[in-house]
This record gives sequence, C-alpha cells and structure tokens, in this order.
Amino acid sequence: MKAMLAAQDFAQIRPGQSLAPLNKRVTVEQIRQYAAASGDRNPIHLDETFARAAGLPGVIAHGMLTMAFANQLVTDWLGDRSYLKRLQGRFAGMVLPGDELTCSGIVASRDEEHRRLVVHITVTNQRGEKVFTKGIAEAEFPAQRSENHGA
Amino acid sequence: MTDTRWVGRSYETAPYTVTEASIRDYMAAVGDERAGQSLIAPPTYAMVYGFDAFWQLWTDQEVALDVAHLVHGEQRFSFHRGVRPGDRITTTGRITAINPRGDMELVTFELQSKDERDEPVSDATALFIIRKP
Repeated sequence: MKAMLAAQDFAQIRPGQSLAPLNKRVTVEQIRQYAAASGDRNPIHLDETFARAAGLPGVIAHGMLTMAFANQLVTDWLGDRSYLKRLQGRFAGMVLPGDELTCSGIVASRDEEHRRLVVHITVTNQRGEKVFTKGIAEAEFPAQRSENHGA
Repeated sequence: MTDTRWVGRSYETAPYTVTEASIRDYMAAVGDERAGQSLIAPPTYAMVYGFDAFWQLWTDQEVALDVAHLVHGEQRFSFHRGVRPGDRITTTGRITAINPRGDMELVTFELQSKDERDEPVSDATALFIIRKP
C-alpha cells in the first residue's frame, strides 16, 4: 500500500516533466466491485451472455473505471485530491478483464500567475493500444501562505 | 434513432448524502486507497453521487435509448471543491444534443451537481455513442 504522499511543490514543476506511471490490471472482480460501488450495473459490464449478444467480445470494464485510473495518476502525483480542477478524455478502446493498463502523464503547461498546471494523459493496454486518449487534467495549487501565517 | 425532440429533457436526483463508507467503497473498487489527513473523495467519485441522473436517462421509457448498444465515448469534469462525508449533493442532468454520425448516434448529457447551500460541487459532460444493432 502506498503511504501518504507529500504535495508537489509548484515551484519545482516544469513543462515536459513526466508523471510516475500508474499500472493497473483489470479483473472481473474489480469490474463487479466498481459496478457495486458506483451503482452502474449495466449488464454489458456484468453478464457475459448479454455482452456477447450486444456484439461485444465479452464483458467490458466501465469507461469510468479507466477514468478513475487517470484521476489517480494525477492526484497521486499531486499529493492532494482537492488540487484537481478539471479532467477529461476519450474512451478510445474497450478494456477487458485481464488487460494490463499503463497510465502516463506529462506536464504540458504551467501558469505561474494562477498556479495552474495542465497535464496530458494517455492510457494504453498491454498491446500498446490506446484505450484513453486526449486526456487532459488541470490542477490548481493553493496560494502560498504569507510568512506571518498564524501570527 | 432517438427522437431529437428529447433534447432539453432533464432529470434531477434526490439529494445524495456522502458517507465515509461510500467513499471508501469507491476507493477500494478503483484501487485508489491513499488517504490524507481528512477524507476527500477521489474527484471521479462524481459518478457515484451523480449516477442516478444517468440511470434515469438510461431507463427513460419515452426517450428509449438503445442502452444495450450504448458505450461511453467521452467524459469531462470540472471540480469546484473537494467532496467529504456529510455533503448532501443534488445533480441535474440534461440531454443537450442528439446527433447522427455515420451509422452511429451521439447523445450529449450535461450534469451539474450542487450542495445543500446550492453551491456548485462539480459539472460534467458525458458523450454516449449508440452503435446500430
């Protein structure tokens, strides 16, 4: 298990910098657990027969599970979930049980005045196919405290 | 083809009371279990407190989306503040576009979530792709 992380220091971050990649192996159990926790029990995620009848190769993971991984990639790196202000992306490919996903991110831009960062995100599977594209996260760091804080 | 006259139709959830158990269930399900000094939900937990708006859309018998052939195409969120246990959040979802694209159909659903003081918590846009059977 990962310990609590220290928040990133905004002053040290540079465009072009890569985030530590996040690896996830998706299982049938995890898809079921996500369905229960989110409430999304659409049978294409849970019922093999139904999924095949709908023209899919079998049950598929919720797109939002992949987006949760993209979220975690960024917030683990930021060290504080409340810094994330925007997250978007495209579900470009199906994620099936057994898939091994790699989430990667790179700092695309940095706005000194507003203490905001833009991170570009991609998620690929074990065959190198992109399953989540055009991923963009925007984070805002809190204003720096004054030196006399807490006087 | 879904009738375009449903553009503008909206759905409101009952207030969703955020509990520590529901945040922890979500964190365990997605494998994001790092916690800080105070428990703030992962931002994509927005799908949990807003889910009933999606459910109402998918089960609306008049709009009759072909949910067996529906996949989530794109998603975007804006997060206005962190979500903690005790928050009471109401979400309104609205169909804002229904467009054919090739042999598919694209349905855009926009959501706004607010707290008990009517302050914004998050906004979201979902794009659904409905494949032809």
